[in-house]
Amino acid sequence: MPGRFRYFNWTMFVAMIALIATGTMAIWSSGNARAESVFHDMWIANLVTAIFGLAAYFALAFADYRKLLSWAAVPSYAAALVMLTVVLLVGSKVYGGRRWLWFFQPSEISKLCIICLLAKLFGGEPRRTFGWFVAGCALIALPVGLILLEPDLGTALTLIPATLLMLFVARVWRRGLLTLLAIGSIAVFAVLGAVYEAEKPGVTAQRSETILKWVPLKAHQVRRVRVFLFPEEDITGAGYNLRQAKISIGSGGFSGKGIGKGESNHLKYLPQAISMNDFIFCVYAEETGFIGTLLLLAMFGALLIPGAWTAVVAADGCGRLLAIGVSTLVFAHVWINIAMSIGLVPITGLPLPFISSGRTFLVTVMSGLGLIQSVSMHGRENKNELVRMA
Amino acid sequence: MNRDESIVSDLSCWATMVVFIVGLVVLAVNLKEVQIDAAPDYNYEKARQSVRRVQTAGPRGRILDRRGRVLADNRRCVSIVCNAAHFKKKTWDETTRAIIDEIDEIGEILGRSTRLTERSIRRHVNQALAIPLVAWRDVTDEELAKFSERDRLYPGFSVVESEERYYPFGSLAAHLIGYVGHDRSSGNAGDEKFNFSEMELYGRSGLELYYNGFLRGVPGEKKLLVDARGFTVKEWLVAEAARGPDLNLAIDADIQRVVEDQLKGVRGACVVMDPRDGSVLAFASSPSYDLNDFVPSLPHEVYNMYLNDPAKPLLNRASGGAYAPGSTFKPITALAGLAMGYPADEQYDCSGEFTLGTLKLHCARRWGHGPISVRTALKVSCNTFFCNLGCDIGTNAVISAARTFGLGSKTGIDFTDDRAGLVPDDAWKRATYGERWYPGDLAQMSIGQGMLLVSPLQMAVVAGAIGTGYLVTPHIKAGEVSVRRPLPYKKRHLDVVREGMRLVVAGGSGERGGEGVDVPVCGKTGTAEYGSASRRKKNTWFIAYAPAEKPRAAVALIVEDGESGGATAAPRVAQILKRIFNAR
Repeated sequence: MPGRFRYFNWTMFVAMIALIATGTMAIWSSGNARAESVFHDMWIANLVTAIFGLAAYFALAFADYRKLLSWAAVPSYAAALVMLTVVLLVGSKVYGGRRWLWFFQPSEISKLCIICLLAKLFGGEPRRTFGWFVAGCALIALPVGLILLEPDLGTALTLIPATLLMLFVARVWRRGLLTLLAIGSIAVFAVLGAVYEAEKPGVTAQRSETILKWVPLKAHQVRRVRVFLFPEEDITGAGYNLRQAKISIGSGGFSGKGIGKGESNHLKYLPQAISMNDFIFCVYAEETGFIGTLLLLAMFGALLIPGAWTAVVAADGCGRLLAIGVSTLVFAHVWINIAMSIGLVPITGLPLPFISSGRTFLVTVMSGLGLIQSVSMHGRENKNELVRMA
Repeated sequence: MNRDESIVSDLSCWATMVVFIVGLVVLAVNLKEVQIDAAPDYNYEKARQSVRRVQTAGPRGRILDRRGRVLADNRRCVSIVCNAAHFKKKTWDETTRAIIDEIDEIGEILGRSTRLTERSIRRHVNQALAIPLVAWRDVTDEELAKFSERDRLYPGFSVVESEERYYPFGSLAAHLIGYVGHDRSSGNAGDEKFNFSEMELYGRSGLELYYNGFLRGVPGEKKLLVDARGFTVKEWLVAEAARGPDLNLAIDADIQRVVEDQLKGVRGACVVMDPRDGSVLAFASSPSYDLNDFVPSLPHEVYNMYLNDPAKPLLNRASGGAYAPGSTFKPITALAGLAMGYPADEQYDCSGEFTLGTLKLHCARRWGHGPISVRTALKVSCNTFFCNLGCDIGTNAVISAARTFGLGSKTGIDFTDDRAGLVPDDAWKRATYGERWYPGDLAQMSIGQGMLLVSPLQMAVVAGAIGTGYLVTPHIKAGEVSVRRPLPYKKRHLDVVREGMRLVVAGGSGERGGEGVDVPVCGKTGTAEYGSASRRKKNTWFIAYAPAEKPRAAVALIVEDGESGGATAAPRVAQILKRIFNAR
């Protein structure tokens, strides 16, 4: 269908290629600082993965998402549940989490599967009843619960806003969603308040313990919240990562230290285990400065805004939901990752799309963008008819 | 199709887009705060954690005598140092272990084990990891050759050069020059803005201490970039250290050598001064020691040996000693009398002893000098005359004359030891002994005995002042301007004393003080008794100036436990004056 190529969204595509290039550079730079040679070639691995990602991207882009959803949404969701269960049983343990199955992380792929299922279920016809609300929540909760068991809080944190937003824009019993949102906000503030009360200066250990008993967080999570609330304290212990992240980003200044010359990374002040993954933004920000970070935000903007625009111009509910779901997922990753690096939100382990080194995640994000491209290319039929009719 | 019936409204899609834009703008604004507004703070933080400032030491200035001969020099000092950056291991213990192992291996190659202990290595790793650890200081050429053969096996060790103090004349003027030490152990910064200071030589005594600030090398600065564990990654020079300026002394090494030869084998001291401007030409204390023994630091055994030696070699007798001046004080008593109006020709009758109540003071001549005037009294050093004179003019006159000559107070010399000595008076005696001042004390003081204490340096200043009529502040550094105060005595009074002192050498008690000297010498002997009545000991003095008319040299020499001033001290002074005035 050569006519379809008319609606290929070049902005989104070019932004994606630019982000892949930027990410490869950042991975090269951050890997070079490591002593182990295996990290020196990580950028090549990233490029190779990107080629696979591009294959998936074009395959999904040129397929009609409606046909795809109709036959693949349910089986892929089921497969995701199976993989998430299997990984809990036999997955390999890395940094305290059971996330890996052979060479990939099921939790990453399952994000797309959930979004596809929700798009299929709620995009076709209005399902605004309480029953569908419960069903939707259950379908989200099942995989999210399994992911939280790994545990992978970061993935869960990005998946929840993306999927709930899908339900919300599909008008699935909005009263319930708003209530959920309210309860969630109150819970977040309650937890923050409790940790503040327990950890503020001058509180006795006993009182602190009594308060924390009621907080449904693990010890390391309480520590992260405490660092978020009191970033100046304990800068050699729990607050070390955040402080070093901010020093790295801040010392980049306006124009940066130059690519490959980031001192925080080379001198190993940034935690080495995550400087290539969750904290890669700090490496990038120090080397390219404010110009570089602004450019990066612009690239994400050039990716996400057309993503939302695709929803605007898509004719059917499935296409709109798919575009909104995938772009919101990417946006959540971008926003939380950068925000945690500068202390706007507590530190959470999650990758920055395209920039962090992570193969499953890269292929997942590119596949998702392929789906949006498919919506852009195939989703305008009804609208064209409308225009023709008018 | 009606838009309102769409499952997902346009508004929702637009709202999503707005959320994205707002989210990205929020990030941009916060990033601007961190990267633009707070960038200086974070750069400072980064520098504080990753940059170490090191103060480097410059070579110390040399010490030269008045003819440019080097008394204190620097020599090359080769050290083998360990750079911890080559011993990066998972734990600090492993790093320390690896360093110790290699140090032990190299120690066997050199045939000399390091002076470092396991504890000091551990401390270095903990506190001063970024800077090199000196494992062997001052290695010999032979040791260096042994190390160089295998240095490829030990990339963590390198050879560095520094400068070490060296005293070409060994013990010459040892008390004067003083010695240096490594005052600061490396690693502890003396200056707060530096994290580390290189080991620097620091004056510990004598001129090395007094002029430490002058001689000290101009420190330089080096910056080290350290990684998160503190290992040095890179270093760069900020300012090169520079050599300190040379210190030129008024001392003449030739005269100094003659002086020290004259003091060889005895305990004593001698100061030679140019009375015109206060330049100290020689400054010696005996016994002495070799300054090179103190480099890099004096071994404990040697130090203890010096400390327990009854001759007290570490004591600087020339300006730090305190002795009774004995008869060398008599010229001062004479001047006090003349200034009070005592006629120069008036005579006292010397019967051989002076009695005052129960006090009996013998004269040098047991049977007495008979009627005697002031010139002759000086010539023969008659005790009776000066006791009588002192008692006639009174305590205040004698004390004030002593103080006029600077006794009892510091000379103001540019040196670490400048002992004031003691001119006792009623108040002092009451405070110290709870007794009043008796006429007997006055009689004793008039002949330089009793509680009066002076240093040889002070007496050199006194001799010079009598010769020139001016009291000068002595100085050791060349070119220093001295304070010259005219003595408050009439020239004719001074001339009487000068004539008396000329007579001392011309056939008097200090006849041997001018022996063989080509210019006329004026002098005064002194034999100060001390110790208990059963074991009387004598400190023998000779003070002199020459030539008699326009003095260019003033000398004070003391030999502890000598025979007499005339027999022990005077001939030694003559040898010194010969070296100064006789054509070679």
